[in-house]
Order: sequence, then C-alpha cells, then structure tokens
Amino acid sequence: MNAPAPPFARFAFSFLLTAALPCALAASATPAPAAAPGATPAAKPAAAAAPPCEACHGAHGEGMAAAHVPRIAGQSADYLKKQLNDYAAGTRDNPIMANFAKALSEQQRAKFAARYAAMSAPYIPQAKPPIAVHLARGHQLAFQGDEAKRVQACNACHGPDGVGVPHAAPYLAGQSAEFLASALKAFKDGTRKNDAGELMRSVAERLDDADIAAVTGYFASVDLSTH
Amino acid sequence: MAQRLKEVDVVVIGVGMVGSIVAKELAAAGYKVVGLERGQTRFTVPEFQSPAVHDELRFDIRKALMQDNTREPVTFRNQGSQVALPVRRWESFLPGTGLGGSMVHWNGQTYRFQATDFQLATRTRERYGKNFLDPDVTIQDWGVTYDDLEPHYDRFEYLLGTSGKAGNIKGRIQAGGDPHESPRSRDYPTPPQKEHFQGAMFRKAAGSLGYHPFPQPSSNLSQPYTNPEGVKLNACVFCGFCERYACEHYAKSVPQTVILPVLLANPNFELRTGCQVQRIDLDSTKKHATGVTYIDAVGRVFEQPASLVITSTFAINNIRMLLLSGIGKPYDPATGHGVVGRNYAYQTMSTVASFFDEDVIVNPFMASGASGTLINDFAGDNFDHSGLGFIGGAYIGAVNTNGRPIQYHPVPPGTPAWGKGWKQAVVKHYNHTVMFSCHGSSVSQRQNYCDLDPTYRDAWGQPVLRITFDFPPNDIKMAAYVTAKAVEIGKAMGAKQVVGSPRKGPYTVTQYQTTHNTGGTVMGDDPKTSVVNRYLQSWDVPNVFVIGASNYPQNATWNPTGTLGALTYWAVDALKNKYLKNPGRLVSA
Repeated sequence: MNAPAPPFARFAFSFLLTAALPCALAASATPAPAAAPGATPAAKPAAAAAPPCEACHGAHGEGMAAAHVPRIAGQSADYLKKQLNDYAAGTRDNPIMANFAKALSEQQRAKFAARYAAMSAPYIPQAKPPIAVHLARGHQLAFQGDEAKRVQACNACHGPDGVGVPHAAPYLAGQSAEFLASALKAFKDGTRKNDAGELMRSVAERLDDADIAAVTGYFASVDLSTH
Repeated sequence: MAQRLKEVDVVVIGVGMVGSIVAKELAAAGYKVVGLERGQTRFTVPEFQSPAVHDELRFDIRKALMQDNTREPVTFRNQGSQVALPVRRWESFLPGTGLGGSMVHWNGQTYRFQATDFQLATRTRERYGKNFLDPDVTIQDWGVTYDDLEPHYDRFEYLLGTSGKAGNIKGRIQAGGDPHESPRSRDYPTPPQKEHFQGAMFRKAAGSLGYHPFPQPSSNLSQPYTNPEGVKLNACVFCGFCERYACEHYAKSVPQTVILPVLLANPNFELRTGCQVQRIDLDSTKKHATGVTYIDAVGRVFEQPASLVITSTFAINNIRMLLLSGIGKPYDPATGHGVVGRNYAYQTMSTVASFFDEDVIVNPFMASGASGTLINDFAGDNFDHSGLGFIGGAYIGAVNTNGRPIQYHPVPPGTPAWGKGWKQAVVKHYNHTVMFSCHGSSVSQRQNYCDLDPTYRDAWGQPVLRITFDFPPNDIKMAAYVTAKAVEIGKAMGAKQVVGSPRKGPYTVTQYQTTHNTGGTVMGDDPKTSVVNRYLQSWDVPNVFVIGASNYPQNATWNPTGTLGALTYWAVDALKNKYLKNPGRLVSA
C-alpha cells in the first residue's frame, strides 16, 4: 500500500483506554503478533496488548476466510470508518463488532480505519477454488451483469476488476468468498441494511445461491498483486 | 419491389418512450402491434455498462448514442433567404436513435407545464391585450387543458417513479415544493433527490431574496421503486453521467427500465430493429393509410400493412415522416398557409456563472441529471409582463448535472482560450464555481419552420429535413430579463464575480443548448393551424396518429418530456376508449 502504517503503539494505547474486551475476543490476549510492515517497532511499549482487530482480522488485516471474517488490509478508510460507526450506532448488526465499535470514540474508529487502509497483506488463495463454469458466471456478473435478472455489473460501483473505489465502494477483489457470500446473503435477507439507497439489497435480492457462489468465488480468485 | 407482409392492427414508427407506451397499451388491449425501430436493440446489460458507458470522448464529444447523421442528417439555416447546409456533427441538439430512443440519454428532468401554458394565446390576450405581441409571433392554444392532462401527468410520473416534492396538491400549497405549479392530484411517487452543494447555496440565496426554491423533479431515483407495471428501479448513485449517456444502474427511468420488459414479454408485440421507415403508405384517396414501407438493415424493402399507424419518432423526424408521406399541407412561410413544419420552436437557454474563492468547494462532479434546486418565480406567466414587451420566462436554478473533465471547465471572461493561462484558470475555478441555468420558453414565429430540403438527401435517397430557425426577438428580451434576475441571486450567494450570459442571437447550430425541439406537427382545434386534433389524430388521415414534442404549438419554460408523457397517455386513452371502438375522426373538421 502507499502509506506506511502509523506507529503501532498509538493504537495499542488507544485500545487500553477502552472498555473491557468481550469474552469472545479473549484470544487477543495471546502474544502480540508482529507489527505491520512499515510500523515502528521501537515505539511499542512493553505493556501493550495487541489491538483486538488482529485476533480475527489477522496481523496484517488478511482476515479469516473460514470464519467469514473479511480481509480489511488496504480497504478504503472511509468504508472501514463507516462500518465501525454503523456498528456503534446499531445500523449494522454484529454483536462482536458492535461491542468493539461502541467502546471506541469516533476519533479512534477513524484511526483504526486509517491504519488498516494503509496495510497490505499477501493474497490468500481459496481453500477450494471455484470450477471454471462458476468462474465464468462470476466473471459475467462482475463485468457485465445480467439483463434477465436486471443486475448491473458489480464493477460498475466496485471499480475495475473489483479493486474498490475509495470513498464510495469497498474492494471485492481478493476478498474472502465466504465473507462476500455471507454479506450478500445478509443484504438479501435484510439483516444487513447499511447500504445507502438499498444499493446492495437491490442487487443481492435478485441473485440466487448459485449466482452468489459464482460471483464470490470469482472475486476471491482475483489476486491483485499479479494484476 | 417491396415484399408485402401480413397485415397487423397497429404499426408504431420509432420505439422510444412514446412508442413503447403506446405499443404496450395497445398490445395489452389485444391488438397485434409491430414496432419499427431504425436503430439497434439495446439494454442496460450489456450495452449500458461501465466502464465503456463512461467514455466522455465517445458519448459526449462524438455523440455515440445519436441519430447517424452521416446517413440521415438535417440541414439548417437561420433565415429563409439563406441556403441551408447539412449538420454533419450534432451540437445544438442531440436526437437519439436505437431502442428506447432519445430518452436513453436524457437527464431525467421531469416537469409539468402550467395551466396557463395550454391556453397561452387566450391567456396572453386576456391579460396583456391583443396588441401586446409582435405580429410575427404565432402562439396558439393547445386544444387541451391542464385539467385534461393532469391524470395522465400523474400516470406518467408514477410510471417513471419521479422523485420530487409537490408544491400544490389539489389546491393546497405544500411547504418545500413549487408554489407556482398547477394543482396535482397527489405527491410524487418518491421523495426528492439529495440536494448537491450548489443547490444548497442557491436555495439559501434565492430564499433570502423572497423567491421560492424547490427540488428539481428527477427521474434518476432517490430510492428503489417498483412502478405500476411491476418493474423495479434502483436508487441513483450520483455518478454524473446522465445526459448524453445511458445509465448502467437501472436508476434512470427510460423505456428499458420502466416499460420495455413488459412490452417485450407480450406476444401481441413484435419488435423489428434496423428498420428505416420510408413513408406512411396512403390509398388512392390520400385520406387513409394502408401501412408503412420500410427498408431493413440489409436493404430489403418491405410493406407492412396496418389498420392504424402511430408515428412516435423524435420531434423533427415526425415532421419529416409526414412530409415524406404527403400527409397534411406543408407550411409556406411566405403565405402563412399550410401546417406541416409550422410553429417549429426550441428553448431559450441562458447561463450564469458565480465564481468563488478557493475556500468554497463545490464538487461539481457529485451530481445527477436532475438533482438541482430551482425557482419558478420568473417562469411562464408567473410574473406580470406588463410593460416588459415579451411573454414567457425561464426557471432559474443551480441544476448543473456533472463536472466531467473534457466538457466542464468554467472560467471567467478574459481567460485565454487555450494554453497555459487557460489551464491555470481551469484548475483555479473548476471546484469553486456555481453554475445556474435559465431554462426559457420559446415562442413560435412565422419565419421559423421545417420543410424538406431541395438539395440534400439521406442514405436511402429521401430528402432530408430542413430547419429554418432564429431566436424570436420576444425570447431574446425574455432571456435578458430573467438572466439579470439570476445574476442577483449569484450576488446574494456572495460570489466574488458573477457573470450572466443571456442568450443572444443569431441562433447557432454548432453550440450545444438543449435537445428540446418542438412543433411542426402542432395540435389544436383548427385544421388551418394544426396538423393533429386534440387527440393527436391527423386531420387529413384519421388512421394516423402523430405523437411527440412536435405537437407543441410553442415551447413552454420547462423540459418537455413530462408533458410528452402526459400527452402520450392522453392519446392512448383516446385510442383505446374512442378510436379503436369506432375508427374514424374523433373531432369533426
């Protein structure tokens, strides 16, 4: 990514000021992972615990595909900040994330967002790559859409090859297929509705399970480091 | 030799917005309908998808969605004494082609005309006296009233899902809407679009001067909407590529997004694209149409017999279709006799640019085709014209639709036209300038008309349309008056420099103004001054209906599409409930 990550300690310190961790995140008490590339290890105080994000989202923001935890490294800061604010306000529903977000001030949420936006993480191939016919259908939805279903191309908003459009739409390329599928299903069944103008719901409600598997498998297969 | 096809009930020439609505209604009523479209079949997917659809060079500069004027141009001149020349590059106005018609590349600005507009001649005489106007002005009443059209305006807005705020519901003025509008039966189907920053600045300044700002009615929707046809539209994302572009998001109301899915699913309807209609065929009496003759994309000639012919092409092409077919007497400006081509009018567009310091950040690209804020205080007959020497007016608004890089660069007067100085000025002013439009009416005038060109022919060997037009003095006066009012609003915003550019003559066909060409197949109550009766039925050939902005006897202040939609449903109502039950003249001549 372009900018180096800000000093690690600032975030660790911020976190220590917040409320107690929920039990679910007890794992974060394990030894602090290595600092992100570009961080300043010298600034890390001995007492600092790892920020809770890392327990699930990984040391480099690479996510945890099997647990439907998204990759957030290099994601748009505006998008990440909005999600944290929405968790805090209750407009995006996730008990784990809500607890964290509520414990942070708006300024702290912005800092976390900026930190992960500045990170980079290596591409992680899918455990079970999609078969060619699913890739083709996914590619069609990504680049062209489907007139019969009145679905426009994903890339119309999410940028060429799903790289994301800062300020507007998150990247999809290289994202975990499991997470993307759970997000689409959440938009489809209305459990996630923090999309302006129901933009995602309008699309997701017209996709069936096969479409969702195809398009999420496709985007997860896009390794931006080779583009 | 033309191949004669099996007869159908109805032929529709041009499958744009009007053609789609008429065909859908008549096919649903059980009639066999054939739609002949000269352009290509096209849909939101794949034809309108980005990134290809956001190509400013291709669509904005090279006009990729427009009528192919290498094969089918028009010719133009300002005065009857001049020789008209072909328009080889569309600039002043942009007629579209292809399935969905010109509406595919519209901005979505969806206005109604006011009650006074439909009785303009009577109203002007009553309010200002019969000698108020220049004797060359040929304005006339429409033959329909606002009350006739209100239910049809309503139906059209609900088809499109138009986003807006009512100002007058059944006579009750509504806060936040346009208090000057004629009464509507209910509010818009969806709430107004979000207001952009230029609009917010305009609202504050216009309000401080005692005017009545309101949100521009938009058919780029503020929220998802399912229309009465069961077709669902999405919310607009403010990408700033409406006018001259197709929408990739199913968010702009065009035939593809509001009605074609229903029409194309009806087995009573058959769409044929790539079909260039040469003429409406008449029998030996010249009082009855037998069908149409067209040439397909590979050059085969077909005769399509039909009991009823609807011509629903772009305004100027409707005029040409009648002239090529010998329907109605062509207008002669020397004598004032004849009707086809008479009362061609346009729209009188002026602009005001308000330049600010760099601390005022406008973000002009964050816009949609109809997300502005405007006032109607100087529109139509909403102010007293006594002593002003003109009729009509303009709406004034911060209605900028985009900040696209090739076309949008406001710079103050005195800036070099090219080179380093120009580039520096563009950088300095791009994000710190508020643009107003003064969108003005256009009177019809004796010297402005359309006929067939004596010299130039299209790729099929048919004479092209010749347009003779210059701005009437009435409209030049109007533009000067209203633009001065708009400059005052710019000053009230606190701009460092406000530059008004009132429209001046002569009219130039090489500078974009607007695609609101009107008149030429005018509607009315008198066959001596109109081509079609109040139901849009030809006076001369009763089984031909002509529907388009070509029906307007003169153009009102506002963008014409809303009124055209209302007229379309009005004509559909007459077709279904009157004409098709008992074919013949709906009004005795």
